[in-house]
Amino acid sequence: MERSEVRRLYLLAAFLVCAYALPFVVGAWAGTVRFDERWLANLATVVIAGVMQGGVYAMFAVGLTLIFGVMRIINAAHGEMVMLGAYLTWVCFFYLGVDPLLSIVLTLPVAFLFGLAMQKLLLDAVVGQPELTGLLITFGLGLVMIYTVELVFTTDFRTIPYAPGTVQLTSTIAVGQNRVISFVMALVITAAVYVFLQQSRLGKAVRATAVNAEVAMVCGINVRRVYLLTTGLAVALAAAGGALVSIQFGFNPETGVVYTLQAFAIIILGGRGNYVGALIGGLMLAVLENLVSLMVPNGTAMVELASYGLMIFVLLIRPAGLMGLRED
Amino acid sequence: MTITAIRMLPWALVTLLVLGAGAGPAWAHHRPNNEVLIGGAISMTGQYAEPAGRNVNSIKLWVDDVNARGGLLGHKIVLRLLDDKSDTQTAIKLYEKLITDDKVDLVLCPYSSGITEAVSNVTERYKMPLVAYGASASTIWEKGRRYIFNIVAVAEDFQKGAVHLARQIGVKRIAVIGQDSLFPRQSGKGVKDWAKKLGLEVVLDENYPPKQTDFTALLEKIKAAGAEAIFSNSYFADAAAQLRQMRELNLNFKLFSSTVGPALPNFPEQLGATADYILGFSLWEPLPAVLGYTGMKEFIERYEKRYGEKPNYHAGAAYGALQVTEAAVRKAGGFDSEKLRDAMATIDVQTIFGHYKVDARGMNSHEGITFQILRGQRRVVWPEKWAETKAELPMPEWSKR
Repeated sequence: MERSEVRRLYLLAAFLVCAYALPFVVGAWAGTVRFDERWLANLATVVIAGVMQGGVYAMFAVGLTLIFGVMRIINAAHGEMVMLGAYLTWVCFFYLGVDPLLSIVLTLPVAFLFGLAMQKLLLDAVVGQPELTGLLITFGLGLVMIYTVELVFTTDFRTIPYAPGTVQLTSTIAVGQNRVISFVMALVITAAVYVFLQQSRLGKAVRATAVNAEVAMVCGINVRRVYLLTTGLAVALAAAGGALVSIQFGFNPETGVVYTLQAFAIIILGGRGNYVGALIGGLMLAVLENLVSLMVPNGTAMVELASYGLMIFVLLIRPAGLMGLRED
Repeated sequence: MTITAIRMLPWALVTLLVLGAGAGPAWAHHRPNNEVLIGGAISMTGQYAEPAGRNVNSIKLWVDDVNARGGLLGHKIVLRLLDDKSDTQTAIKLYEKLITDDKVDLVLCPYSSGITEAVSNVTERYKMPLVAYGASASTIWEKGRRYIFNIVAVAEDFQKGAVHLARQIGVKRIAVIGQDSLFPRQSGKGVKDWAKKLGLEVVLDENYPPKQTDFTALLEKIKAAGAEAIFSNSYFADAAAQLRQMRELNLNFKLFSSTVGPALPNFPEQLGATADYILGFSLWEPLPAVLGYTGMKEFIERYEKRYGEKPNYHAGAAYGALQVTEAAVRKAGGFDSEKLRDAMATIDVQTIFGHYKVDARGMNSHEGITFQILRGQRRVVWPEKWAETKAELPMPEWSKR
């Protein structure tokens, strides 16, 4: 490793320590930090909640990073895929009476097929084109999806009353049942995809294509098939994320945009195209937001400032993101 | 520029001046077939389409009702409704067109505080009086405008009933939270004002960005600050998330009240038992036995027959505002805008939406109702004269439900 690079890593570490220490400093100054038992329990609660939330965010960020890594396409309709997953789960719950976790078995194949169709009909045409082309076509797809869902389901908000209870970790630290379920599901699914990419022949083909599509093709990898698989997987991951969103939050056809932005922030922070980076980025953002909200006076109004501030400073120090490879 | 164009310039200016002067008071039109033209732009598509659509239903119903009675002062009403696509700039343009191009005799109101505020600049300029039914931000009436009146309650009073109920059950310390935008901020200001009047202490006052989904830290902070009740100035997604996370974290409060979310038809159904015992606010409900306004029962029947659903408060407010307009036209004896304006400013009418009598600013002291969700049903609990049942407060602890 070059010296300048080592220096940058130290700088990054120092910055991150400062960024996470800042809410504590502000809190101590404002008197919201007390270090008694009650306050420590609060701190533990929000950190745990942040980790749980970050895990779910990471799952759909992984889908976004997968498409970008393999095809260099920025999928602006990613949040709409999350929204679609949420609606599929909602329909299964309210009309067919299927348990939201069970219905993942139904929604994932549907989402995978949707991904295949999307690749065949739209993305195949824009692979290898300038990045803006892919961005525009997926943006258009997102709009079509929003308005189609609006026609069918109206703009009313929906949510699923599932596992609303609490899990009491200690007498003062609690976490929601649906949060724990979502977090565990997100970890299992993300880990399964990770193992698939690392171990299986097909997964290796995906990774090879991500490194260099032409060389992969020369080695006898069917790149078109890899693209199909990638988009199918990415949409399935987003839809699974949607299922987990539906049991935690309210959603309507227009909420997808929020998740697109969140996923963007996460993969830019973690490193575009990097799988582990997405996980780390997701956890970092969610935990920082919760720390700011808890300790800074009127901090909840500043969570966006904090998370995008973190993103900008990390990019200044390390333009490729935390786990990103150098672009040269 | 060619020479002809330069020569035309003074004439163009003169024409503009004449038009500008002529655009003062609305003139009596000589329309064919003894008609009167009423026009407005309202959100038929876009983010406000759902509530504004209920306004439109009532507008159409009113036009047919009046025409069936022989018209407005004997004139048959012709309706011109345009779509502003929930966009302020489009609304401004369409109102300019309606007033100068189509030369409407009366203007209808758009939906939402933001669009109404923008459009009222146009209607002021052309001195077209109107009664607003889709705007509750009091700032619109605090800028000395003369031609706009309001029929609904102001945002500052949305939580009035909930604060009174909090005091009744002995709550002393409250938290005020809300989304960081115009309407929630105004209703939050109202909570703080009422709390001050009733002697409650605000121990936490915080806003959050509109996209916020995780309220864990905020809720923990509220509990740590010692608040006994939460006044949340929120819509569906945020109110739902706050409530669910309270339950997930096993945080118990004596009272939880939200401005908009619980009033939406599907809130209790989508949240299940978690929504029980919370307070919400409505400007009006289709409950003739409770509210007892003149003609309310017949209106609800006609509306339900035509649209297949009971009218909500958006529908009620629009119909009420048009009844006021009708009464004002009769009082003014015509469509002269100054006389009409004076009539709207002084008239005292009973409508299906309630009593209309505005103050010097042009605002009506409409009284809304506070309800509690009990076993999945919305029940009126405040003001006492309309209460269907006594509020079941403090809310039972999560572990005892």
